[in-house]
Amino acid sequence: MIEHDFPEDFTPIAAELQRLPYMSPSRGFADRVISRIDRLNPSAGIAPVGEKRHLELQQGGRAAVRRRPAGVVRVVGTAVAGVALVTVAAFMFVGVDLLTAILAAGASQYAMVIAAVSAEAGAVVLGAETIAYLQAGALESVLLYLTLAVGLFGGYAGIRTAASIAKRKAA
Amino acid sequence: MPAKSYTDVSDQQVVVFAQEGREDAYRELIKRYERPVYSLIYRMVRDNETAEDLSQETFIKVLNNIDRYRPEFKFSSWLFKIANNITIDHLRRRQLDTISIEGAPDAVTGERIRATAITVASGGESPLEELESKEIGASIEEAIAKLRPEYRACIILRHVEDYSYDEIAEIVKLPLGTVKTYIHRARQELREHLEDLK
Repeated sequence: MIEHDFPEDFTPIAAELQRLPYMSPSRGFADRVISRIDRLNPSAGIAPVGEKRHLELQQGGRAAVRRRPAGVVRVVGTAVAGVALVTVAAFMFVGVDLLTAILAAGASQYAMVIAAVSAEAGAVVLGAETIAYLQAGALESVLLYLTLAVGLFGGYAGIRTAASIAKRKAA
Repeated sequence: MPAKSYTDVSDQQVVVFAQEGREDAYRELIKRYERPVYSLIYRMVRDNETAEDLSQETFIKVLNNIDRYRPEFKFSSWLFKIANNITIDHLRRRQLDTISIEGAPDAVTGERIRATAITVASGGESPLEELESKEIGASIEEAIAKLRPEYRACIILRHVEDYSYDEIAEIVKLPLGTVKTYIHRARQELREHLEDLK
């Protein structure tokens, strides 16, 4: 019996609390517990097939194998698939005529302007003779294209090298 | 191994036998505490099925970790501590704070309401006494059910299981002062709910 540490008016309630009956779990409770004690049932630790797979996925798999950085791949894949689906849907249901019309209108409207602006810009950068070669579509123009490309990449590589040398010296 | 009689054997000694792998020792520990543990959990969750599951979880956890039992503490305190932790975790997950004597709040079907309603056992009294006892018992159960789960655990451990404040603080992992406050408030609330009993 616990010591009397409550006010007098709580005594009847305390007495009733002491008289509260115990309740019993259902029959076979002990057997069910015993069947789950690892030491008494070495097989109790082995989960059924379905459960085991679940545990592997939840714990073992995660611990044993490092997660792959699948986030970027998943995002790119989703984006590509999404764009493809939207495009297909647009072509199939709504936009084939609309898209074609817009593109055709854009091309026909601005083609001359774009060509003229490009030729002017090219003439300023490369010179009028070079542009003439390019527009002629001769063999020399192909060589010129290749030279330009090699020069472009070579220049870029040269700048990068110079920058890294300068950085090393500064350090 | 022949079955042993554990009649005058202390909990600590039974635990030692269990640690040696004796099944009858495990069964003895379950037999000694299945009703107190189940009753504590049931009074906190007010659902037969849930109380049974949580009681089972408690015993499985305790008995599977029997080697970690430290004999300087009462076995029953350790057991109630695990039971209380498991039950409080469950209640936090379920948010089952207010419950009624007529059945758990999520009970919708008649069967479910009956399963979650409290029935108070009689103790061999006359029909009139039995009826009165049942009524009082039901009122007490109802009043306990209205308490906050933390209060419920403390008041049951104090007045039903006869634990000291220090032991309760150890079981429910709360400071002694908090436990005293909880029990004080629980008594106040019980008094308010049970005006007729005074």
